[in-house]
Amino acid sequence: MPSSSPETDSRSEWTEKVLPTRLELIRVAEPEVLGRLRELGYTEDQRFAVRLAFEEAMVNAMKHGNRMDPALHVVLNYRVLPDRIEIRVRDEGPGFEPHLVPDPTCDENLNRPCGRGIMLMRSYMDEVSYAYSGREVCMVKYRKREGGGA
Amino acid sequence: MPDETEIIQILDRNGVKLARIRSDAILQESEVESFGRALTVLAEVPGTRVVLSFLGVRQLTSLVLGKLILVHKRLVESGGELRLADIDPHIYEMFAITHLDRLFRIFEREDEAIASYHAAPEA
Repeated sequence: MPSSSPETDSRSEWTEKVLPTRLELIRVAEPEVLGRLRELGYTEDQRFAVRLAFEEAMVNAMKHGNRMDPALHVVLNYRVLPDRIEIRVRDEGPGFEPHLVPDPTCDENLNRPCGRGIMLMRSYMDEVSYAYSGREVCMVKYRKREGGGA
Repeated sequence: MPDETEIIQILDRNGVKLARIRSDAILQESEVESFGRALTVLAEVPGTRVVLSFLGVRQLTSLVLGKLILVHKRLVESGGELRLADIDPHIYEMFAITHLDRLFRIFEREDEAIASYHAAPEA
């Protein structure tokens, strides 16, 4: 019986979850993702980074994308590989222009209560990009790549 | 589900309100709202000086950072202040990345933060 390589392991394939817009459901999906990272030996720092970025992406999708409309959904796709984790979160909102979000670290914005989620995702993940007019965020965290806050 | 009396414990320490977070994570929206409400109440008394201890807190989201900024603004508007202490290195990194370590005075321990309110003002 042939042994499966990591790339052919069924658990390394993309997993998709379609979640109604309810913030408490983020906690339902999260343990599965983090559990897989733990199984593959990702460090605590890496798991912290992924958990944080995952939370921020999901909250952004539900609050800012779907505007907490319970009739709308968030589509989560992820796969955990030995060398990286890839996460895609898509909402059903109107989309947005990421480059137009004010920089929360500028002195004039320091007192603004919003806008830090995107910055944290960019800091903790190695790659962050947007598709579908800003309705989908795609994030990658490499296991051995240093920097990016973890 | 925790309410504000559970997620934050408020103590009086030498004229300073010491707020201790009773959970290791503030993630759920209800927790974030309770957290914000419990601290905002303190701003209703003008001039309230607050130390918020993060001892034991291992996880939070940017929603909590947003609440802290709002509470800070309310306190400052009423002549009070918010200082932070006992922040886990992972959490501190979130403050540093978002430059909130420039907005808040952050101390290693809660007793240092409390004492700082009684220290002579810097020249």
